[in-house]
Amino acid sequence: MKALEVQGATKRFGGLVAVNNVSLTVNQGEIFSVIGPNGAGKTTFFNLLTGIYAPDEGRIFLFGKDITGFPPDRVAKEGVGRTFQNIRLFGAMTVLENLLVGMHVHIRVPYFHALFRTPLAQREERRAKEEAERLLAYVGLLHRKDELAKNLPYGEQRKLEIARALALKPRLLLLDEPAAGMNPKETEELQAFIQRLRAELGITVVLIEHDMRLVMRISDRIAVLEYGSKIAEGTPEEVRKNPRVIEAYLGKGAAGGAA
Amino acid sequence: MSALAFALNLGYLALAFLAPGALSNLFGLGALLYTAFARLSPNARALNLALLTLAFTLNLQRSGNTLGLIGLVGILVALTTLPKIPTWVRALLGLAILLLSVPIAGFANTFIFELGIQIGIYAAMALGLNVVVGMAGLLDLGYAAFFAVGAYTWAIFGSEQAKNFLQGNFPLPGEYMYLFMGIAIVTTAITGLLIGLPALRLRGDYLAIVTLGLGEVVRILANNLDHPINITNGPQGITPVQRPPIDGFRNLMAHLGVPLDRTTDYQLFFYLLVLLMIGLVVLVNVNLANSRFGRAWVAIREDEIAARSMGIPLLPTKLLAFMTGAAFSGVMGVIFAAQRTFVSPESFTLLASITILGMVILGGMGSIPGAILGAAALTILNLDILKTFSEFVRTSFPQLPSQVDPAKYERLVFGLVLVLMMIFRPEGLIPERRHRAEMEEA
Repeated sequence: MKALEVQGATKRFGGLVAVNNVSLTVNQGEIFSVIGPNGAGKTTFFNLLTGIYAPDEGRIFLFGKDITGFPPDRVAKEGVGRTFQNIRLFGAMTVLENLLVGMHVHIRVPYFHALFRTPLAQREERRAKEEAERLLAYVGLLHRKDELAKNLPYGEQRKLEIARALALKPRLLLLDEPAAGMNPKETEELQAFIQRLRAELGITVVLIEHDMRLVMRISDRIAVLEYGSKIAEGTPEEVRKNPRVIEAYLGKGAAGGAA
Repeated sequence: MSALAFALNLGYLALAFLAPGALSNLFGLGALLYTAFARLSPNARALNLALLTLAFTLNLQRSGNTLGLIGLVGILVALTTLPKIPTWVRALLGLAILLLSVPIAGFANTFIFELGIQIGIYAAMALGLNVVVGMAGLLDLGYAAFFAVGAYTWAIFGSEQAKNFLQGNFPLPGEYMYLFMGIAIVTTAITGLLIGLPALRLRGDYLAIVTLGLGEVVRILANNLDHPINITNGPQGITPVQRPPIDGFRNLMAHLGVPLDRTTDYQLFFYLLVLLMIGLVVLVNVNLANSRFGRAWVAIREDEIAARSMGIPLLPTKLLAFMTGAAFSGVMGVIFAAQRTFVSPESFTLLASITILGMVILGGMGSIPGAILGAAALTILNLDILKTFSEFVRTSFPQLPSQVDPAKYERLVFGLVLVLMMIFRPEGLIPERRHRAEMEEA
């Protein structure tokens, strides 16, 4: 089963082609990485997948359903959770509240029930809180649940952002540079955590990452972007040997540092 | 310290008994400040606050001096904000002030009822605007428009006005006011939808300007819809608007042994009605804040992109906040129309919108006790302090030209209050947890 299928996605900003005719397929249960030098269009590509931008050309299918042009909230409802390169938590909310926002679409309380806090509303709220606490325990943040998100140390903020995305019960999880700013030990923990997500929750994961050790160890397959175009795709082994990838990262004036 | 506070408060109680009036009330306010800020044990503080409540009530009853009302408001603030006071003390004293002290004062000086009702109406509206601005972060400068729609909804049908364009028996009897409180929720929510649909596609400053414009449109419509068909009676306004019959209320009060005359009966009735409405509005506000809707509003305020990525749709969620706030305002509009028995476009100017916004900002955005305190502070400032001060200046310095009459500088003082706030306490008098967190970040 194809979890994600992108056909010829293109996004232009004025004269700049940020994403140029990119096609790729991610199978259900895969851990798939998108790599490329800085400015290669990786985050724009994510923003196309999540509906923050609509593609100028091309189509996007999620588990066979055409979601091209869906706004972000509808993409989220279809089961796509995401994190952001520059962590976007709700800083002035507590850790628990951040998760409850993540569960928004799963808390079924009609407006008038919420207004008068009817038994139905109370029951749903309690259920949601219990579930959020379970999830926090799962990622190891339960002891922080009443702290403000902005007061968490960096590594835990990253974790919380993933937990918030998980609260959505996603079928597809998009992680934008989850290991940024982590030390090798933390990165190793992250790797184990992502693998656990797939094993235990059956979530398909697509990640953007600069840490090549992590990418090579964790990915089933990798796509490489350069100047908005896909220049390679394959297993870590294949990508590592691909001369165009080596050139993009190391040779001939290509900007941006390699791993 | 405990002994000093006790002595001060006992002294004030004696003064309230022997020499009630402005001077003793000033002494009482001083005693209140000392009680609130000195290091006292929670029990000593509770006892002293109770003593002060008694003293202010006594002073109000004997002199009707409105400074006493400020004292009572101060005690309420102390009860809500000071830590470690037992909950039952808070509840008991709070209820005693609202249900006993203020009515007692009102019978001594009916202006206190008037102040109480105005504070209540504005507090309920500030709580409505608090949903829009405080929770959802949508800067609405046309909020008085909803107040107008609510007020006119009842004013037109609760007076002979409707005869101009409808067949039927108008004015509708006063009992219909309760029904129209419900109808006003619908009409104002629809107005909110109509204004919100175009306006809420914009953000920040643009939203503020557009709501300002659309708010003015509503007022100008009210001003001009006296022809070709006379719907609103234009600038003359509509009067008299029916009030609900209160025979049952009078009987009930007579049973309780409260003597009512022809002026105080309706004032007490509306005061209690407004109090009830505030209770409801606070309840609904708290419920919403702790529901998925309240969280969605705060999420949108904090980070639209992250909120949308959690499956929160932008426009519907914002519209819901807008319509909720509008409905609060609409209900209070109906009560306002009935209480005044007079409605005209003058009550719904831009200044009214800004004043309500000022109440929310002064109290602390997103904060429920803050919105109520803001409403109390600005209403007392406008209706009482400035006017009293004017009176004082006029009698003491009759040679001063009338241009420097302090009551004419309402807006200046209002502006100064806001500027001072922004400098010394930008998070508001009683800040809300989340907003304080955001302020610390900045």
